[in-house]
Amino acid sequence: MTGAAQASHRPVKPRRSPAIYVGLIAVVFITLVSVSDRWGIGLDLGSIIADIGRGEGILRELMNPNWAFIPRTFEPLLETFAMAVVSAFIGCSLALPIVFFASRVTAPNRFVLTLTRGILSVVRAIPDFLYALIFVAAVGIGPLAGVVALIFFNVGVVAKLLSETVDSVDTGPLEATNAAGGTRTQMVRWSVLPQVLPNYVAFSLYAFELNIRASTVIGVVGAGGIGTMLFTQYRFFQWENVSVIIIELFVIVFVIELISIRLRRRLV
Amino acid sequence: MIIFEHATVTYPGGVHALKDLSLEIPDGQMIVIVGLSGAGKSTLIRAVNGLVPLTDGDVTIDGVSVRDAKGRQLREIRSRIGMIFQTFNLVKRTTVINNVLMGRLHETSTWRSLLGWYKAEDVEIAMQALERVDIVEKAYVRAANLSGGQQQRVGIARALAQQPKILLADEPVASLDPPTSHVVMRDLQRINRELGITTIVNLHFLDLAKVYGERIIGLRDGELVYDGTGAQADENVFRDIYGRSLTADDVMGAAEPTTPAVIA
Repeated sequence: MTGAAQASHRPVKPRRSPAIYVGLIAVVFITLVSVSDRWGIGLDLGSIIADIGRGEGILRELMNPNWAFIPRTFEPLLETFAMAVVSAFIGCSLALPIVFFASRVTAPNRFVLTLTRGILSVVRAIPDFLYALIFVAAVGIGPLAGVVALIFFNVGVVAKLLSETVDSVDTGPLEATNAAGGTRTQMVRWSVLPQVLPNYVAFSLYAFELNIRASTVIGVVGAGGIGTMLFTQYRFFQWENVSVIIIELFVIVFVIELISIRLRRRLV
Repeated sequence: MIIFEHATVTYPGGVHALKDLSLEIPDGQMIVIVGLSGAGKSTLIRAVNGLVPLTDGDVTIDGVSVRDAKGRQLREIRSRIGMIFQTFNLVKRTTVINNVLMGRLHETSTWRSLLGWYKAEDVEIAMQALERVDIVEKAYVRAANLSGGQQQRVGIARALAQQPKILLADEPVASLDPPTSHVVMRDLQRINRELGITTIVNLHFLDLAKVYGERIIGLRDGELVYDGTGAQADENVFRDIYGRSLTADDVMGAAEPTTPAVIA
């Protein structure tokens, strides 16, 4: 034994890059500029306290929901629900075949991969609200515009999440199908799909959940469902009715999330 | 007959995995490739079915060049070559029979395979393959629920379902314990003898190689350094293949079981 006394080649502790500190200072600086009166939005925290009582009337009405309004919300709620189901179903069905062109593992070549990913980035970059605006303009006010908007939104979300899952799939079975003389399509169907199917179902549930949440936003531009009703009541300052819709949405989203968390846990 | 003619594989980055290798493998032979990790054993095996492309030379199977084959023609060649892997390469989430049926994909049209609507005769072939490795009772069990030895037998069944002329086994027992290794090796030996399928097996345990290798090929740094029978391959030969003296790690140790019922 040479013993611990003999000098071994311990590595020198690497010095931390100064970039971290520079970055941190930059973030703080940009934030300060953003709230400053002169260059930014001029946030005055004092006015929050000074004006705290101003919304008292609205708050009181919000705290006093008009329960009698509930039956009138059933129809738009049902419409929102139906829109969410239909768009999730169509959107997720469309996303599935696209996914395999957007993953390194299954795309036939680099060109197709880059092109598909590029298109999906554009689809995802457009927010749900903007889709709703576009399709209300294109096909008119009503649930059809909402459904088409949500389909685009869902394709973007599901294709993104699932293609990342496909990227990290176990490639052993893919080699096996290859070695057995299978085609790319057969490989995707029998070596890849069984591996990602639980994730696909989970992402589809998630898409449905997002659709219910998005219904408020897309309703504002008249794309149908409970969101349109919410916006109408808000315009007429019917705070007690707005309050009812908010509570209903809260309960629905909460329940759906509970169910889908449970389902997803069982799947994956 | 498989013929390697000056087969050379250089990986991007300049690693020479196979150097000017010439070799003839007659039909029906059981041949074991030995060598250290990185000696080119996996590359040699994958050169047969074109999973690793040659940079020079050629490999022909019954006169048909693997190097020239592309697309449909390459799939045609591969469909006649079964392959078994060190890590089994099963889809663990799906059933055993679905895994074995992957060996029938080449004979199945795209729309049938998309729907999973295999022909009755293909299902029958898959079931018979499972019977041959004695695991048919697990047909509808998820592959994930099987032990390592059972999974490798499913892997063999998948290869057999192709009704292959050639069987390639890349370190088929490296993930298994000694008794199970012998079960799997004896399965391969039996299949080779009963069905006359040319079988090429990579192994790194010398004692296994000597027991099961009708013929042993020694590889060192991508070059052929030994070609002879298992009986002739003594310690000196292995020392030459390995380029160093042998250690206890080079043999699996456990004796071949005499009563298969005990470990079945």
